[in-house]
Amino acid sequence: MESIVCNGCSLLCDDVAAEVSGKTVNSLGLCTLGHTHLEKAALQKTKQAEKDFEKAADILTTGENILVYGWTHATNEAIKEGIELSSLLNGYMASSIDLGATQVMEHDINASGLGIDLEYVRNNGDFIIYWGSDPSESLHRHPSRFAVLPRGEKIPEGIESRTIGVVDVRQTETMKMANHRLVIPGGKDADLLDVIISELEEKSSIKDKVLGIPGSELVGFVNGFRKADCTVIFYGSGVINSGNQETNLTKIAKLVEVQRNNGKEAYALPMFVQSNTMGVEKAVSGVHSLQRISSGEFDTALIVADDALAHLPGPAAKTLAKSHIVYVGPPGGLTDKRAAVSIHTADTIVAGTGTMTRVDMNEMEFKKWKASKEDATISQTIRKLTELVRKK
Amino acid sequence: MKLNPMELYNLLPKTNCRLCEPKTCMAFATKLALGDISPDECPPLLEAGFEKNLEKLREMVAPMLSAEATGIKLDESKCTGCNNCVVVCPVDVAAEPPTSQGKAAMSTNTVFRVENGVSKIINLERCRRFPPDRLNCRVCEQYCCTDAIEIW
Repeated sequence: MESIVCNGCSLLCDDVAAEVSGKTVNSLGLCTLGHTHLEKAALQKTKQAEKDFEKAADILTTGENILVYGWTHATNEAIKEGIELSSLLNGYMASSIDLGATQVMEHDINASGLGIDLEYVRNNGDFIIYWGSDPSESLHRHPSRFAVLPRGEKIPEGIESRTIGVVDVRQTETMKMANHRLVIPGGKDADLLDVIISELEEKSSIKDKVLGIPGSELVGFVNGFRKADCTVIFYGSGVINSGNQETNLTKIAKLVEVQRNNGKEAYALPMFVQSNTMGVEKAVSGVHSLQRISSGEFDTALIVADDALAHLPGPAAKTLAKSHIVYVGPPGGLTDKRAAVSIHTADTIVAGTGTMTRVDMNEMEFKKWKASKEDATISQTIRKLTELVRKK
Repeated sequence: MKLNPMELYNLLPKTNCRLCEPKTCMAFATKLALGDISPDECPPLLEAGFEKNLEKLREMVAPMLSAEATGIKLDESKCTGCNNCVVVCPVDVAAEPPTSQGKAAMSTNTVFRVENGVSKIINLERCRRFPPDRLNCRVCEQYCCTDAIEIW
């Protein structure tokens, strides 16, 4: 077994090991999501034919309005190469991160100083709240690696030294670990946040049932904020999908501020699933691609490491499918199938080179291992394509 | 699902005949609930008149046949490989200290280790429920979000 970095989700676990022997893939420490991803990636074949590069370069150089799209599963190095190629093509660099929900979830987290290292959370976070997020279904190792179970410098007893709260519109599996389980009606996040903020600012006092939650239970939850030295709120797509997304996030930011004003440490972090969402966020931001894709503005599209036709909303995907598509990335998926030309790279977990940005903005470097296919990375493929485009 | 000794006791002959090793029906029921004894080891139960009770008791303890010696049952089909059991198990933390900080278990010394995306019990005999500790430790079951781990 060799040490590897997993890109099955945004946690980018670097404490895991794997080996590939023929068609058999064995792993240690990888969750089901990671192991399944590795199994698929390890058995994929790369395809880097010269004629495909030539054809791709022809399509890109003859296109008029070019969309350069994807990137959430590409390395930071590949994104840099993509920005250069996009600039050369006078193209429009975009990604799924600027589609509504994901864009809202970013919510200037880093600009507002709400974020923090996950390692810091492990060492200091004593009041952990999953708000509209359910790691037991999406980021399996989040509670065991960082937020709930591990022991840390100021958390000597692990779970015994922490208080856990879960706020959701339904009973979730994560609630099994929680001290405070708050099930609220859909769309009422902001109302609950208002009550908590008001209570913490001592502007009101909870006496009766609020949003169906017994007063005593809610008082206990609010006391969690008062007792905590370091509160961390992990908010997920539930906060976005329940409506009033901007208001919900503004109020979460306000709650963090109130805690800080009371002399406490407090942070808020999003729960993304895609492995390099934050890497794209760092490189490309402030764009709004969905309307432009839907309007049929682009006649040509270079799609990198993202099955855009499968992930985009129906009308946008249908319009995009009518353009000349060049696909670069691991094989498989609708976009690969529909593309005029596809160049197949190794998935980053197998490529074993490059960096991605974890959900807390920490850069994680991939590790070279026996199964590595270093000659077929997305980054190299984009660089080669850029050189060909430059010559034409 | 855990077995309730009182429910089991109600199906026993309740004669305290002292023909079995636990000697009393209540002690026998307690052992039954822990999976330490089989209903067939109660001689009066095998006699005529108790057929229905014997059948019911066999039915009730049947799921325990798939449980390991300490009474831990790990259903791999429900496991997501979250590593909660690895990190929360006191034996694992002592055997491989980095697991206390949330790291995955890499050695062969732990009770749990996540292999190929699911948790496996690789050293059942090291579980604190085993002698000499015989502690009623249930932390792995308590923090298994998907209920893949059950302790009988």
